[in-house]
Amino acid sequence: MKPKIFIPLVTALVIGIVGACIETGPGLAIAQIQEDAEALKAIQAPTSDQEFPVPLRPLPQTITPCRACHGPEKDFPVNFKRREDLLVHNNIRLNHGGIRLWCLDCHHPDNRNYLLPLSDGKNIEFEQSYLLCGKCHGTIYRDWRDGIHGKRTGSWNGTKNYYLCITCHDPHNPKFKPMAPMPPPKKPWTPIEVQAKH
Amino acid sequence: MRYDKSSDPDSLSGDRPYDNQGTSSNLEGKNELPDRRTFLAGVASVLGMLAVSSCSWQEFVQNNFQRMTKEEIDQTVERLKKEYREKYGKDFVVGTEGPIDNSLFGYALDIQRCIGCRRCVYACVEENNQSRDPQIQYIRVLQFKDGDMDFEHSTIYYDPQEVPQDGYYYMPVQCQHCANPPCTKVCPVRATWTEPDGIVVVDYNWCIGCRYCMAACPYMGRWFNFAEPVIPADKINPVTHYLGNRPRMKNVVEKCTFCIQRVRVGKYPACVEVCPVGARKFGNLLDPDSEISKIIRNKRVFRLKSELNTQPKFYYFFAT
Amino acid sequence: MKSFIVQAVKRILTGPPLYYAWVTLLLVLAVIGISSYIKQLEVGLIATGMTSYVSWGFYLGNFTFLVGVAAAAVLLIIPAYLYDFGPIKDIVIVGEILAISALLMCMMFVTADLGRPDRIWHLLPGLGILNLPKSLLGWDIVVLNGYLVLNLLIPGYIIYKAYNERPVNYRFLLPFILLSIPWAVSIHTVTAFIYNGLAARPFWNASILAPRFLASAFCSGPALIILLFQIVRHYTKFHVKDEALHKIAEMICIAMAINLFLLGAEFFKELYSDTHHLSPLKYLYLGMDGKGRLVPWIWTAFAFNVVAFLIFLVPFTRKRFLTLNLGCVLIIIGIWIEKGMGLIIPGFIPAPLGEVWEYAPTTLEIMVSLGIWAIGLLILTINLKIILPIETGEFTKYSSKAAGLASERA
Repeated sequence: MKPKIFIPLVTALVIGIVGACIETGPGLAIAQIQEDAEALKAIQAPTSDQEFPVPLRPLPQTITPCRACHGPEKDFPVNFKRREDLLVHNNIRLNHGGIRLWCLDCHHPDNRNYLLPLSDGKNIEFEQSYLLCGKCHGTIYRDWRDGIHGKRTGSWNGTKNYYLCITCHDPHNPKFKPMAPMPPPKKPWTPIEVQAKH
Repeated sequence: MRYDKSSDPDSLSGDRPYDNQGTSSNLEGKNELPDRRTFLAGVASVLGMLAVSSCSWQEFVQNNFQRMTKEEIDQTVERLKKEYREKYGKDFVVGTEGPIDNSLFGYALDIQRCIGCRRCVYACVEENNQSRDPQIQYIRVLQFKDGDMDFEHSTIYYDPQEVPQDGYYYMPVQCQHCANPPCTKVCPVRATWTEPDGIVVVDYNWCIGCRYCMAACPYMGRWFNFAEPVIPADKINPVTHYLGNRPRMKNVVEKCTFCIQRVRVGKYPACVEVCPVGARKFGNLLDPDSEISKIIRNKRVFRLKSELNTQPKFYYFFAT
Repeated sequence: MKSFIVQAVKRILTGPPLYYAWVTLLLVLAVIGISSYIKQLEVGLIATGMTSYVSWGFYLGNFTFLVGVAAAAVLLIIPAYLYDFGPIKDIVIVGEILAISALLMCMMFVTADLGRPDRIWHLLPGLGILNLPKSLLGWDIVVLNGYLVLNLLIPGYIIYKAYNERPVNYRFLLPFILLSIPWAVSIHTVTAFIYNGLAARPFWNASILAPRFLASAFCSGPALIILLFQIVRHYTKFHVKDEALHKIAEMICIAMAINLFLLGAEFFKELYSDTHHLSPLKYLYLGMDGKGRLVPWIWTAFAFNVVAFLIFLVPFTRKRFLTLNLGCVLIIIGIWIEKGMGLIIPGFIPAPLGEVWEYAPTTLEIMVSLGIWAIGLLILTINLKIILPIETGEFTKYSSKAAGLASERA
């Protein structure tokens, strides 16, 4: 039976290990995500084994391996209870899915290096977080695969650069932030004598 | 929807400038051309127009792009490059790439996603060398109140601290690249036409500046250079196309060309690339797997003022 | 031929002081207009009040009005040649001369409106490309030039015969006369179609536009002709019967009745259906978003037209020259507003995307327009100066020979 999981988007930025997670996919890297192009240049981002090529997005190297703290042999036992203040991860304010969602609705309780699996039982790598996103946001996921949702740059008839779910949406706080608009157009040109009457 | 690629109602039944094969019978031999040109130059001096409109002799006798032979195009491009170099101090590329086989461009804009930030407006201005003063911006971003899609209640001059504003939604409007364009058919000199890949273009050197096309366009997709365009030399984009973003002159009409200089070499238009919310989609209508085809197939789309039967290739849709 | 030219030039250069004053005034205005136009060519159309919202303005307003004036010559041709109405037949040539001047002014106004007049050769079939049959502007160029040719040919032939003191062969002329009737209708119809065919502009996109154009043209043109005839018969020996003028006035009355009826029909359709197509009319007659620069003008035009209609309707006022002339002036001004700015500007307001942005001509635009009017009137004056004496028999082959001999003797 399919595990009932409500958490759609998964963060890679918080808990997890980087190095171990990288898996060389079948395809070649086709693109860089604009925002952390630098980070991606260091490693050759592999593509997933999806039917379409997307760049993978591993955790930044700087993040402490999850296993360092979370694990059966470690001091922190798995705590399924929802808490408002997190001792260590106090930089996270979860604002995703209301009060129904909690860390372990996405992150694997027994192995924090992974996200919760799909129905095939295989844990999801952090780079393929969009697979987990698709568990809840199925229609959006489908649109994204078709290039309807989300952004692609590059070539309309060739290789495209894919923006992943987490490129634009912070998984812990996925709502798009408002931004300052660029200046409005100037009012149409009118000669001074006419302008005075406006 | 019916897109017949072969029927290009506005194209001239002459040699296509893209004919590299030289199938053109080139009836007017090279030797005959100067005669025609001198005659025309004579007419010009009689009119006394040349002096005041300050255009060169070659520019004056320049032919319609659709009627030019390969050699004429090459000569013209060389001349333009020289002119632009003198004016802006940069080496220009003036491309004349023809349409890519089996391509018919379509555009889709997700008005549910658009937040009205106008990033597209300015990316377009920079990519397409639009005059900064007087200001020309191909894209107008309309702001509507929720529950209303009445143009008369919309504004393009909104300027809050942050967008999107509560209670409003946004709809960018630019040239809709109609399949049945009212603008091209009114042009008295065929200075504007639909390319085989569906892009409605203007030959800036053929336009006589009557502005009939502007009156005919229901989307305000056309702009007129009421004065000599002003673009700072450091802001100029030197990668251009003859029918696209090459620098324009005063008193001619210009418009969005889907960034012809980009899409004819396979790139996305500048507005698609810059949109921070991914609301802008572009692709080949003839390719069933393209983004645009999938949007038309899977989403509910509409076209602006469809009652006018202009059949835009620019769609608006609601992704969710 | 040589003696004709010499004599003609002499006739142009001689006249009473009032004639000199008139010609000087026109020349001064023409020079101001031309220099303003050169300024416009230098800086671009930014020198005008036109914007991307209102992309046509004063020039095309005047153009539209003048096409009406040119078309109105047909109103003289029909009674003159078809019904053989003597009093008008004698004077129809003046109407045709007026048509020529009006057509030349039309062409000048369109050229002034063009951004790139240096590329006007692009319109020449063969060298350039005239986009026929699709472009109505292309058609307009064809019909205006065709009408100009007809109007040069018919009076030209009559004048030629009169100059040589030979009878006019009406059998030769009749096909051209017959052709010129539908052609006159066509110039105004095609001009109306320029605006009419644009679905983007609901104000123009009403099938009543072309009939209204014709109706108003048959008011303003003949009104101008009535005034012109009185001036002509006052200052020359050219004889114009009162009967002819009253006949023209009757026709104006009918045309104005039709014009007002069509206006009413348009009003009803727009007001009762109350769609967004009402917006331009609302802007024109009431103003919109606090903007209503045309409101006083259009109500003036409306009042003038109604008053003029009443004047022409009542035989007592129609037959007295004081009121008749007042009516003519009112009609000319009324139609000039209605068929000029009152027609062009609301087509652009509100803009297709809803914006209300107004237009007003700049001083430069008015100067150029005055210049064009001055050149047109100068052409008319000079033409009449040569043609009327030929018509009256003062200036013929023989009289010029006699004059030539006389000058040789002296």
